[in-house]
Amino acid sequence: MKFFENLFTYDYSFPAVTLAYFLRYPNPYSRHVLTTDVIDRYVDPKTHRLHTIRLHLKKSKVPSGILKLLPKGMGGSDHSGQSYILESTVVDPKEGWMQSESRNMEWTGILSVVEKQVYQRQPIEGALESLEGLALDDKRGEQTTVKTTVTFRSRFGQGKLLGRKKTESIADHNGEYEDDAPKKGFFSSLSTAGIQRTIELIGVNRTRDAVLKSKQGMNVVLERLRSGGIVGVLEGMRQDREAIVGKEGPWKRVWVRGHHTDDDDN
Amino acid sequence: MAASIAPECNDIKEKYDTCFLKWYSEKYLRGNTTSNECEELFSKYKSCLNKVLKEKGIDQMLEDARKSNSEVESEYIRRT
Repeated sequence: MKFFENLFTYDYSFPAVTLAYFLRYPNPYSRHVLTTDVIDRYVDPKTHRLHTIRLHLKKSKVPSGILKLLPKGMGGSDHSGQSYILESTVVDPKEGWMQSESRNMEWTGILSVVEKQVYQRQPIEGALESLEGLALDDKRGEQTTVKTTVTFRSRFGQGKLLGRKKTESIADHNGEYEDDAPKKGFFSSLSTAGIQRTIELIGVNRTRDAVLKSKQGMNVVLERLRSGGIVGVLEGMRQDREAIVGKEGPWKRVWVRGHHTDDDDN
Repeated sequence: MAASIAPECNDIKEKYDTCFLKWYSEKYLRGNTTSNECEELFSKYKSCLNKVLKEKGIDQMLEDARKSNSEVESEYIRRT
């Protein structure tokens, strides 16, 4: 098992950060996120906390380093290049915290990646703790910290994953593979551990980049929120989405417009 | 707004998302946690989505993943 940890401070109020979190796709740094759906959402009647479960579909290439370690056929042609991520969040606006957990739903036997984030309102000294403090972004200078912990766990080579019944093991999305390590000799179990470590390390290296990108994306959304409110975020999104959906959309328009000015210069 | 995995649900999803954003920023974050004015849109969106999830065979995978997720979730709540 490997861990990645990161602490970061947003120069935005806690309510703004949570709103940006729900609104963060699409943004210019999220081209790999194809779709986002809300699977479940409710306010706990006792605690008044908002629970949300979302399903994201992301483009993902299995890193070539991992691909080399996989048996032929796995991670190759049958891999669609897309992966499902389940994200679960709880917000408590009164206590000023939000917790999220995201995990991959497939390939958990090869590498299970669980990202946990804790967002925490940082009270400013002397600031009044009142309902006004919950307004979106009226308190300049308010900060929100986020602690990110990502856990990588490879069960590669354990149990039936490498066994004969490939289809069966792929259908088992629980990642609950039985460990038949005792049957193996010392050297083969050593190399299995080595492969697992390698896979986990590749995961850590990719995550460094992904965590940075997700912060940049959040900051874009937060800046749009500050300067244009929700309308500003939606407008920015529309443009981001156009850039993704219409492959040649914005470029084509620039090109056409460019030609038009050539033809009929006003 | 982010696209739905089911293109046929995009319209209702956009309506629901818009409703949620308004409710979340104007009511929920300001302490009015009991209102649920987006409930009707959400159930329409969900029934559209669930059909597609079933067709794609994602529903079972979701259920399994949510089971392991909820364990972690309850662990979170205990700690706080």
